[in-house]
Amino acid sequence: MNIIETRDISFSYNTKEILTNVSFSLKQGEFLGIIGPNGAGKSTILRLICGILRPKHGTITVSGHDTRGIERKQLAKKIAFVSQETHFVLNFTVEEIVMMGRFPYLRAFQRENKTDYEARDHALAYADLQDFRKRPINSLSSGERQRVVLARALAQEPAILILDEPTSHLDLHHQFAIMELLKKLNKEGMSIIAVNHDLNLASLYCERLILMHQGKVFEQGSPKDLITEKILKQVYQTEVKVIRHPQKDVPHILLNPKGE
Amino acid sequence: MNRYIPIFLVFLLAIFLSIIIGPAQLNTDILQLRISRVILGIFAGGVLAFCGGILQGLFGNPLVEPYTLGSASGAALGGSVGMLIFGTISPLFAFLGALGVGFFVFTIARIEGGLLRDRLILAGVVMSFLCSSLVMIIMVMGGRELYEILYLLMGYLGVVINSTNRLMIILMIVLSGILLLYLYQYYRELDIISQGMETAAGLGIDIQKLSIIIFLTTALLIGITVSIVGAIGFVGLIVPHISKLIFGPKHLKNLPASFLLGATFLLLADTIARVITVYELPVGVVTSLVGVPFFIYLYRRQ
Repeated sequence: MNIIETRDISFSYNTKEILTNVSFSLKQGEFLGIIGPNGAGKSTILRLICGILRPKHGTITVSGHDTRGIERKQLAKKIAFVSQETHFVLNFTVEEIVMMGRFPYLRAFQRENKTDYEARDHALAYADLQDFRKRPINSLSSGERQRVVLARALAQEPAILILDEPTSHLDLHHQFAIMELLKKLNKEGMSIIAVNHDLNLASLYCERLILMHQGKVFEQGSPKDLITEKILKQVYQTEVKVIRHPQKDVPHILLNPKGE
Repeated sequence: MNRYIPIFLVFLLAIFLSIIIGPAQLNTDILQLRISRVILGIFAGGVLAFCGGILQGLFGNPLVEPYTLGSASGAALGGSVGMLIFGTISPLFAFLGALGVGFFVFTIARIEGGLLRDRLILAGVVMSFLCSSLVMIIMVMGGRELYEILYLLMGYLGVVINSTNRLMIILMIVLSGILLLYLYQYYRELDIISQGMETAAGLGIDIQKLSIIIFLTTALLIGITVSIVGAIGFVGLIVPHISKLIFGPKHLKNLPASFLLGATFLLLADTIARVITVYELPVGVVTSLVGVPFFIYLYRRQ
């Protein structure tokens, strides 16, 4: 069953066409990766799905309902968006920030109830943040902050998690921790779409990939089908060597520095 | 520990001091004058600080204050024009000026489907300069009204509440109270906006709509305030910071605290303005003189 379906969506800023006739779907419980060069329109797709932007043409349906007919707060109960924003103007504590994930469930002046506290604590535990809960956010490292942002999304109790480059700017340890966390969530039934610049990570963790190029879907399929020397040359204009990962049956990319 | 209790006690102390301190002996007439000052002080200080807190939250910019968006200079311009025509300060013209310039700034920043927030600040600052120049022209032309315009520009709580303006002032205060409560309902949205625009939109907040609501409502509130007491500066900039230092970043707590602290601050500043020289100073002079060092001290200590 398709939990998200986009049909022929187009989007432009003023006269600049960003996306042209993009159609793809996300199956229930799938881990989908969106890859592609800078400016290919990857982040715009995520924003359209989350209802932050509206498509100029085409439709996006979530569980069969057109998103245009869904109130934004209602959509936020279904889809949680993890943006690249990990800069905090105000120094809230970790648990206060995670509690903000309950916003779609709360009316003005309504106090958080037992369900909200449980969802918050569950999200904190899931992201392994219990020891940090009372800490001010600006005292945390960027890897820890990324986990806080993810926990805030989990507190929304969504069916679908959408992530915009969740591992960029993180060291190896934190990249691995975040991807493993996503894998675990996915195993437990969460449908996930993640934009990832790191093709090796995408290859290792995503079941299916969508390769974007110049605002269009260039190709979609399994990492094995997509991550080939020929396709990467066409889209990234870069000569690479693709080998098989020694432990997993997925492609792995090696760069060839020039002049050797 | 409830931090509102000591703040509230200081607030009561400020009211008490404003009533008993002054050059003249306390009698029934003087008491009435001072009570009317206290009412206007609480109203103006509270509204300015509350609006400052809201706008700093919305723009995620600690240097934004109610006057950054042009309403105050608009009020000064409107009031000056009124003075040129009628020869006396005209609250109605000040109010129209505030709304007019506010609306103009709003139009400049408006694009299809929303507002450009950076452009809003820039347009506000530019319009403030324009209004100042126009006021200067009026001052040069008017000559003798210079003194009164100065009070409008710097702020003055000594407006005597009498039978002719009582009803209007009460209505304005009640309306402001309602508008403040209306804005207060967005405390959670403001907390979330500080996490980033996309995060806020992803959580279901319609940022464009919220920006429009907050901009227009605060412009209305500032227009009301400036039309009654003039453009009192620095309260809306400094007090929200002090409030956040004491009560933390949650707007649920720091917005009402801003109101109380703003009222307290303005009452104390007004008391100083009344007694420091033989002539009464515009209260805005004192808020700046007292506010700036206090602000630097607080920030250095952090």
